[in-house]
Amino acid sequence: MEGLFFNVNNGYIEGIVRGYRNGLLTGQNYNNLTQCETIDDLKLQLGPAYGDFLASLPPNPSTSTLAEKTTDKLIAEFRYVRANAVGALAKFMDYLTYGYMIDNVALLITGTLHERDTRELLERCHPLGWFETMPVLCVATNIEELYNSVLIETPLAPYFKGSLSHQDLDELNIEIVRNTLYKNYLEDFNNFVNTDPDMAGTPTAEVMTEILEFEADRRAINITLNSFGTDLSKTDRKKLYPSFGRLYPEGSYMLSRAEDVEGVRLAVEGVSDYKTYFDAAGMGQSSAGAGNMSGGTGGDGKSLEDLFYQKEMEISKSAFTRQFSFAIVYAWVKLREQEIRNITWIAECIAQNQKERIGNYISVF
Amino acid sequence: MSGAGNREAVFPTRQSLGLMKSKLKGAQTGHDLLKRKSEALTKRIDEAKRKMGRVMQIAAFSLAEVTYAVGGDIGYQVQESAKSARFRVRTKQENVSGVFLPAFESYTTDGNNDFGLTGLGKGGQQVQRCRETYARAVETLVELASLQTAFVILDEVIKVVNRRDINSELDELDREEFFRLKKVQNKKQRDTAAQDAEMRVKREAAEKAEAASGATSSDKENESGTVDILGESEDADVIF
Repeated sequence: MEGLFFNVNNGYIEGIVRGYRNGLLTGQNYNNLTQCETIDDLKLQLGPAYGDFLASLPPNPSTSTLAEKTTDKLIAEFRYVRANAVGALAKFMDYLTYGYMIDNVALLITGTLHERDTRELLERCHPLGWFETMPVLCVATNIEELYNSVLIETPLAPYFKGSLSHQDLDELNIEIVRNTLYKNYLEDFNNFVNTDPDMAGTPTAEVMTEILEFEADRRAINITLNSFGTDLSKTDRKKLYPSFGRLYPEGSYMLSRAEDVEGVRLAVEGVSDYKTYFDAAGMGQSSAGAGNMSGGTGGDGKSLEDLFYQKEMEISKSAFTRQFSFAIVYAWVKLREQEIRNITWIAECIAQNQKERIGNYISVF
Repeated sequence: MSGAGNREAVFPTRQSLGLMKSKLKGAQTGHDLLKRKSEALTKRIDEAKRKMGRVMQIAAFSLAEVTYAVGGDIGYQVQESAKSARFRVRTKQENVSGVFLPAFESYTTDGNNDFGLTGLGKGGQQVQRCRETYARAVETLVELASLQTAFVILDEVIKVVNRRDINSELDELDREEFFRLKKVQNKKQRDTAAQDAEMRVKREAAEKAEAASGATSSDKENESGTVDILGESEDADVIF
C-alpha cells in the first residue's frame, strides 16, 4: 500500500538518488586508483566521477584539499536533493543533518569555552550540519548566554533539554556532551522513523531501524572500548548508551559493567554479527590489540572499526534493494562519505609512499 | 683569525709565552678529545636523523589512519582540550673535557590524559595510537636536539681552540714592543741631538762673551751675539 502514492511526492528524488548511487566508484575504479603513482594520476582517474569539482585543484594537491573537493560534490548533491524534497522526506533529510550539527555545535562550544573567535570556527564546521541560526552561536561570549539564548533556538534544543544544563557544558568534557547529544539524537531519529504517520510500517521504517540500531550498537561498543583507561566512570558511561539497538537492554547493561575488552566481548556475545567481528579483529583474547599498538606499522588484519564500517556499507548497499523508501537517501550519504574516506586514504597512501596498506579501503560495489 | 675584540689579555713577556705554550699544549689535548667526541656525535646525529625520518613517516601515516577512522578533522578539538604538557623535557649538564654540554632528557608525566576521550564515539583507539606514535616521534626529535646542541657547542669550542690565538697574540705583542722601543730610540736620538746643538751654541756664546770681555773692543758685537743666541735657542725650541 505504501508504494501507491510514494511516487507522487518522492518519485523524482528516488530516481535522482539511485542515479547518484550508480555514480559511486566500483571495485574496478578502486583498483585503478590504487595503481596510481602520483596524486595527479589519481586526480585523472577520478575525472569521470568528480569532473568539475576537481578541475580547480592545483597540480599535485594535498590530500586534505582533495577530500575537501570531493566532499563539496556530496554537499552540492545533497542540497539539490534537499531542495526538491517535500513533506516527510524533507523532515527525514533534516534529521540526517542533525548528526553533523551536533559536531558543529560541539566545535562551537569548545571555541566559546576557550574564548576563541568563534567566527573563524564557522569555516571549520561541516557544511551538512549548517543551520540558519548557527552564525548566531558566535554572538554568545560565555557559556551561560550560549545555553540560555542561543542553543535553545537551534534544532538541537530538544537534545540539550533534560540531559544537559549549562553547568554541564562548562564542566563536562566536550566529548561527553557530544556523545550525550548523539545518543538523544539517535533515539529521537529512531522514534521519528517509527512513529511518523508517513513512515511507520513502511520499508523506510524497517531499513532505517536496522541502520540506526546498528549505529547505536556501534557507538555503545566504541564508547566502551575507548573509555578504558580514561577517567570516565561506569555510570557516566552508561548514560551515553542509546536506549535501543540489538544490544539493548541486556547487552548495554553488560557493556556498562565491562572493565576490559573481554567484558565487551561477553556483552556482545548475544548478537552473532558483533561476535564474529570481535573474533575477526582478534580482540577479546588476552593479547588484545597488541598488534595494533605497534604504531601504525603492524596489523594487516582489519580492525574492529574497519569491520563496522564494512557492515555499515553492506547495510547501506542493501537499502537500495528496497523500493519506496527514504532510507536510500541516508544510505547514499553514508556510501558517499565512505567513498570520500577511501579516496583520502588511497591518496594518503600514495603521498606517503605506503603502498603496502593501500588496499585498506572498503568497497561494496 | 685573531679578532681584535676578544683577545686574551696577555702580558707580553717571554715568561708568559712559556706559560701560554704549556696552556696551548693542554688545550690541544683537550681539543683532540673534543674532536673525537664530536666525530662520535656526528655519527650519532646521522643515525638519529635517519631514525627521525622513519619515525616521522610512521607518525604521519598514523595521522592518516585517524583521519580515516574519525572521518574528519580532529585537530582543533585536540588542540583545545590539551591543557598541560604530557611530554616534557628536562636538561642536565654533561662534562666533556671541561666543556659543559646540555643534554635533554624527555619524560612523560603520568596521569595527564587531556584528550583521552577524543573520538569516544568513533576512532578513539586510533587517536590514542596516533598520540603514542607522535610521542615517540617527539622523543626522537628531543634526542636529536640534544645531540645537535652538543655538537654546536663542541664545534664552537673546537674552533676557539683551533685558532691558536695565544701564540699569535704573543707575536703581535712582540712586534708592538719592538716598534715601541724603536720609537723611543728615535726620540732619544733626536733629544740628544737637540741638546748637543744647544750646548754647542751656549758654548760658542760663552766663548764669544769671554772674548768680548777679554778684548772689550766693541759693545755692538756683543749685543748682536746675544741676539743671535736667542734666535738660535728659539730655533732649537721649534725642533724640540
